[in-house]
Amino acid sequence: MLRYKLPPWLLLLLPAIVVLLAVVMLPLLLSLYSSFTSYRLTRPDSITNWIGLYNYEKALTDAKFWAAFGRTVLLLTVALNLEMLLGLGLALLVSKVTHGQRALRTMMMFPMMFSPVLVGFQFKFIFNDNVGLVNNALQSLGITQTAIPWLVDGNLAMFSIIFAEVWTSTSVFAILILAGLYAIPKDPLEAAKVDGCTSWQTFRHITLPFVMPFIYIAMAIRSLDVARAYDIVQIMTNGGPARRTELLWTLIGRTGYVDAKMGYANAMGYTSIFLAIFFTVYFFRKLTTARTELGMGG
Amino acid sequence: MDSNLSHRLKARALKLAHLATLFVAMSIICLPGLWIVLNSFRPTVEIMAKPPVWIPNELNLDHYRSMFGGIGEGGVPVLTYFMNSLVISVTSTVIALLVGMAGGYAFARYKFKGKAALFVGLMVTRAVPGVALSLPLFIVYARIGIIDTHFGMILTYVAMNVPFTVWLIDGFFRQVPKELAEAAEIDGCTRWQAFWRVEFPVAKAGIASAGIFAFLTSWNEYALASQLTRSVTSKTMPVGLLDFTSEFTLNWGGMCALAVLMIIPALVLTFLVQKHLIAGLTFGGVKG
Amino acid sequence: MAEVHLEKVVKKYGSFQVVHGIDLEIAHNEFVVFVGPSGCGKSTTLRMIAGLESISGGNIRIGDRVVNDLPPRSRNISMVFQNYALYPHMTVRENLGFSLKIANKPQAEIEAAVNEAAEILSLTPLMDRRPAELSGGQRQRVAMGRAIVRHPDVFLFDEPLSNLDAKLRNQMRVEIKKLHAKIKTTIIYVTHDQVEAMTLADRIVIMRNGHIEQQGTPLDVFTNPVNTFVATFIGSPPMNLIDGTVEAGHVVFSDGSRLPVPPRYAASEGQKVQFGVRADNIMPIGHALPPEEHMAELDMTVSLSEPLGTETILFGEISGTEVQAKMFNPRPVVPGERMRFQVTLDKCHLFDAESGHNLRV
Repeated sequence: MLRYKLPPWLLLLLPAIVVLLAVVMLPLLLSLYSSFTSYRLTRPDSITNWIGLYNYEKALTDAKFWAAFGRTVLLLTVALNLEMLLGLGLALLVSKVTHGQRALRTMMMFPMMFSPVLVGFQFKFIFNDNVGLVNNALQSLGITQTAIPWLVDGNLAMFSIIFAEVWTSTSVFAILILAGLYAIPKDPLEAAKVDGCTSWQTFRHITLPFVMPFIYIAMAIRSLDVARAYDIVQIMTNGGPARRTELLWTLIGRTGYVDAKMGYANAMGYTSIFLAIFFTVYFFRKLTTARTELGMGG
Repeated sequence: MDSNLSHRLKARALKLAHLATLFVAMSIICLPGLWIVLNSFRPTVEIMAKPPVWIPNELNLDHYRSMFGGIGEGGVPVLTYFMNSLVISVTSTVIALLVGMAGGYAFARYKFKGKAALFVGLMVTRAVPGVALSLPLFIVYARIGIIDTHFGMILTYVAMNVPFTVWLIDGFFRQVPKELAEAAEIDGCTRWQAFWRVEFPVAKAGIASAGIFAFLTSWNEYALASQLTRSVTSKTMPVGLLDFTSEFTLNWGGMCALAVLMIIPALVLTFLVQKHLIAGLTFGGVKG
Repeated sequence: MAEVHLEKVVKKYGSFQVVHGIDLEIAHNEFVVFVGPSGCGKSTTLRMIAGLESISGGNIRIGDRVVNDLPPRSRNISMVFQNYALYPHMTVRENLGFSLKIANKPQAEIEAAVNEAAEILSLTPLMDRRPAELSGGQRQRVAMGRAIVRHPDVFLFDEPLSNLDAKLRNQMRVEIKKLHAKIKTTIIYVTHDQVEAMTLADRIVIMRNGHIEQQGTPLDVFTNPVNTFVATFIGSPPMNLIDGTVEAGHVVFSDGSRLPVPPRYAASEGQKVQFGVRADNIMPIGHALPPEEHMAELDMTVSLSEPLGTETILFGEISGTEVQAKMFNPRPVVPGERMRFQVTLDKCHLFDAESGHNLRV
């Protein structure tokens, strides 16, 4: 056994902590450091060139950065809320089905299993102005004669991206909310009916409070990997056309790898990290409150 | 009697509306995937046809044949990518599971100061966006020479999966009553035996599903892989998908075929564990 | 102010029928208890009255309205559930007032009704707690309070006490009975516990396999069971049923012992019957209640005794069937002791062995 007696929990957690320190924390420290330098990939010695907060000042005064930042927050807000609402709707629809629920549940999970890159390509294909499913269908049905430039027009491109994002991630919400619906004890629902609730009132006063913790779990899970949207955007538009779908993440990638300005990219990367951490901590907090309210703490 | 009748009619109308909505929703979920599968069997001419061909005249395996048909002539080394993906995903999953089991057990069974904070701390590392992490990782890996290697990718994916496996496995162990292990210890097991002979078998199904979740994450990951892999020696399939694009053209059919190849293992695995997966996520989350 | 009428009420799940055309009339202010083993259809029937289950056939009327397809909210009923069914995210006060809030009653009225209910059930000190912070008995009282604030036409109880421990169960039983005396509303109460049924009911409805076996006052079903099912279901310990054959005015058991056919009973010579006698009516001589008009005697070997204090339960055997007897002013009994018992024939029954029907004329 060990000579220095580590508490067993620490011993058990040690591998996890070590791996995360080595692969996540250490590089992040490096990137923190490099964000204070003028480091460029093409000139490795520039990593020692300390320039203080210059990169951060530059980012904070860069209109492109703010545009990407705003667009990212917008995308997250719109997409997460849409996913939540649609997921809730879908879960309710499926929970009311009497036959074949298992099959429906499995179908519902399809989009979750698609690699985000794949989703990107899939919708790049489907929204393609020339050979895409959407335009083909619209034209065959005679709704429009011209090809709609789904991925070329700025607003339409943003719409297409949100559509793709919502398509993949709604199922996370739907599945978890469905699990929540199953977990609701039947009695309070029946009691509410007897107490005089209409279906809407039952939903509003009983179902929703019960399902809330599950919504927060889904939110927490989603907030852990919202950045998956990067893959989708990267493939579908790569931030284009003319940066009109540029998100924080594509901007970082472009600055770091294409323009080779690593220090600057890392400075912007930090803002995106804080954004992600903010969302994560926020939803984990919400989750804790929601479940103490339902007395699920124990 | 009248109000009885109107209630009955209303119930019937609601039921119809419900089924119709459900049908539309399921179509939106399933159609894109089916579209990809369909197109992987269609000749390029037909995919590109204007006006569009709705009812396929011809279905063949050309895209699959050329996909496996060796390098050159636009052929992509799909088999190599597949093997890379497989080796990297499986190895990183196994390691992440072992690390996650240790960590999850610690969270499920021990009380210690700062537990909640440590838990959120672990989760937060998962929230770091792949692109943001890929920049410094790229620098570090290049410096110590593990860029574009299986080892580098495995290490990265282990780190990426550990927070999640810890979360899931924590949930599963918590469903195993403490008394079980205690009974085993009274029956003469050591703590270690009690774990492997009692607690582990009971939580096994859940742990397996955590493993599949980790596998899928590695299997599907793109942001990090696209920067940390450079050549055929370590490129994974998501990165390989980009081989079908060139500056101005896209080989849609070939891409669809590779997409199908990527999605099949994912689908099969999902079928196997969907139930445990949901149970694990919700249990870990709700009964925190 | 409501009677409840069931006319040929049927419940089917697919082709599986669980309730087979029940007819029942429940008077205003009556306390009716449905009792039966699990799966007998008693809860299903209650839930059909509540509107929580659709009915597959027949009619249900509450007052003068047919309510077959009405949702629960239009029936003006309230219900107490087995697992309390309190809303975990609401305080006791909010739980109590919820139905009135949903009905858009003015705040002052809600408050008055809630306070009144809290008063009746002594919940006043608990009003701001959440259900998770309450004990089982307290939760049960909140559930009842929630039901009474609405002043419903009919009160439905679905096994409300089965989650409580024995002592609390006895307490709550008394409280429910008091409550009924106070609020004067029709009550339909479902339980599998015959003691609850006996103690609470104005009328007991005994169900089995989706049929009503017998209905009547508690004393009536206890003293005049229509068949062996009711005879063994009601009363504790259950009535002893001993297989025998009728020979010359006696029931002869397979071990050769015999008892006379009880008065007011008729059976044909050679008929296979079951002789029914409750423990209270078979007692060792010298430790029995005063004899009645028709008595008989019988020897039995005691294999086990259970002293309960004022009485002792004796276990013996007649022709392979275990028989329980009661002993007053008990003395210690050695297992294997052979004792002579007196049987009060006036209170014994004879059932047809095949159909199980009571053979009283």
